[in-house]
Amino acid sequence: MKARSEAWLYVGPATLFLFLVMLVPLVYVAYTSVTTVDGSFSLAAYERLFGSELFRRTLWSTFEISIFASLSSLALGYPIAMHLARQSPRKRAIYMVLVLVPFWTSILVKSYAFTVMLGRVGLVNQFLSWIVGEPVQLPMLFNRFGVMVGMTNYLIPFVVFPVLASLLAIDKSLYRASEIMGAKPPRIFLRITLPLSLPGVAAAVLSTTIMSMGFFVIPALLGGRKDVMMSNLVDFYTRETMDWNMASAIGVILLGIVTLAAVGAGQLKKAGSRAEVQA
Amino acid sequence: MQKRNNTGSSRRTFLKTSGAALTAAAVGMPMIVTSRKAMAAGNLVVVSWGGNYRAAVEEALTKPFEKEFGVRVTLVDTPDLAKVKAQVMTRNVEWDVFDAVGPMAMTGSKNGYWEALDPAMFDQADLVAPMTKEAVPFYGFTGGICWDRNRHPDGKHPETFTDYFNVDKFPGQRTLRNRASETMEIALLADGVPPDQIYPLDVDRAFRVLDRIKPHIGKWVDQTPQTTTLVETGQVDFSYTYATRAKASQESGKPTGFSFKQNLIGLEYLVVLKNAPNKQNAMNYLKFAMRPDRQAALMDLHGNTPASKKALTLMKPEVKKWLSDPGNPLNLICNDAWWSDHYDELTLKFKEWVLS
Repeated sequence: MKARSEAWLYVGPATLFLFLVMLVPLVYVAYTSVTTVDGSFSLAAYERLFGSELFRRTLWSTFEISIFASLSSLALGYPIAMHLARQSPRKRAIYMVLVLVPFWTSILVKSYAFTVMLGRVGLVNQFLSWIVGEPVQLPMLFNRFGVMVGMTNYLIPFVVFPVLASLLAIDKSLYRASEIMGAKPPRIFLRITLPLSLPGVAAAVLSTTIMSMGFFVIPALLGGRKDVMMSNLVDFYTRETMDWNMASAIGVILLGIVTLAAVGAGQLKKAGSRAEVQA
Repeated sequence: MQKRNNTGSSRRTFLKTSGAALTAAAVGMPMIVTSRKAMAAGNLVVVSWGGNYRAAVEEALTKPFEKEFGVRVTLVDTPDLAKVKAQVMTRNVEWDVFDAVGPMAMTGSKNGYWEALDPAMFDQADLVAPMTKEAVPFYGFTGGICWDRNRHPDGKHPETFTDYFNVDKFPGQRTLRNRASETMEIALLADGVPPDQIYPLDVDRAFRVLDRIKPHIGKWVDQTPQTTTLVETGQVDFSYTYATRAKASQESGKPTGFSFKQNLIGLEYLVVLKNAPNKQNAMNYLKFAMRPDRQAALMDLHGNTPASKKALTLMKPEVKKWLSDPGNPLNLICNDAWWSDHYDELTLKFKEWVLS
């Protein structure tokens, strides 16, 4: 009983705060999505959205971009986290600051830098031309590749930190034990490091995917004409046509899909850990 | 002894504290009084764009307005129509004057967000474009073609929109804005429609022209700064940008050229929010902002075209060379009233077209 009342003491303020700034507006958004201008109930916004080719395409490219960006960030971020986990705490602190550096630069400035680097006469193409000995103009900007470079640059810290936390939580004696038993590094990685870091990986993938779905400046600056994001459409309905009915409906649909994905991931994790216990 | 000492120290503490309180009150008093005075003279909240724009508005408009009318002006960044809607919806209007680009001003009119303006407040004959019931043109911004003068010297770059769409004569990558307004007009001008016959827009024809140019568009620009930076970095050969952007690019030492042979002129408007808390001050501010001397002062800093014809003669010559010529028969002034009826539908159609 006492533990419970204490728990409320700790969690209460945040819960109350989130209730006011998250839940109340969220309910209002859901309400707006099913209410017409004159205040009557209607599902017209959803009907219009599902009937719209633009909406379906945008939804699809939003998912493609988000999931791909999240997986690329994982591929690049996981080795960094492993490296950080092996450092002394002091060195690790310095490296962590380095991981955070991309955070501190405005995306407009960074996108200008990316244009200079990835452009058709950019540094990368110049370097490749110099190596090959003839002019190379790889298209790396204003396409999916450009979007991925920009987004992974932003998302990597969100992968590194949860994965690092998982890696640091692994009992060091497991490594020693497996080495004594004669396991080679690849085997140690596959049987110990990877499975035990999965909670961090799951958290990283889920949070970066969800975060990516709200992006729109990076795809707008570095992407091509087909790299559109749902937030673009939300912005159009919210600030340009003032059709909050439609904007809210998009928000509700996105929220629904993301919630399903999160619940699905949770179920998978549960199933996974059950399997482990049985083994 | 011990006791006396104690009271002594506490008395001293008391004196110190009350002294500090008195000082604070003495320092604070004038502030309270002045803020009350300011209240009596009135306030005004003006919503405008940030950055250099804000600094120019402050220097040319709000500061002199404060001096002349004794009104305290608060300048807020970024006109956002969604925030206007929220203020009107909740009957909690905080803003008075709103600085709106054409489509915004018109959408606001359609939704009933603005107060009606008395036409007698402005010198109608002096305006470069007619005012609407609720919005007065504030200035015109000039859209046109830019290029890198080193890579594309005279004769090697397009100067009109017809040139811009002629990829045989001027091969290379181009940009267009990732939106229907401006882009549709440019397409029709490029296809040879005379500027005075552009409206109502022939939408199907515009899309057919755009189909032709689509493979040569290196970037459909969402963020305005890219209209010049892409030319600066050599990513594209030619770009549709604005005179103010080209001017800034040149001033930062880049070899950016800009054509005044054919321009698209978009209008910025001033409007007053419905049930604005300081309506009378807002009206005075509008009148003030449209005075030729104030228009000239602001446009000298912005580099845009004043909405007051008289202001043109008052402007600095080095800025004036960056203004488009309203007398040029090739130039087109965007028709915001037409767009207000077609904006939503065409924007969606355009977005779909870009994706396909």
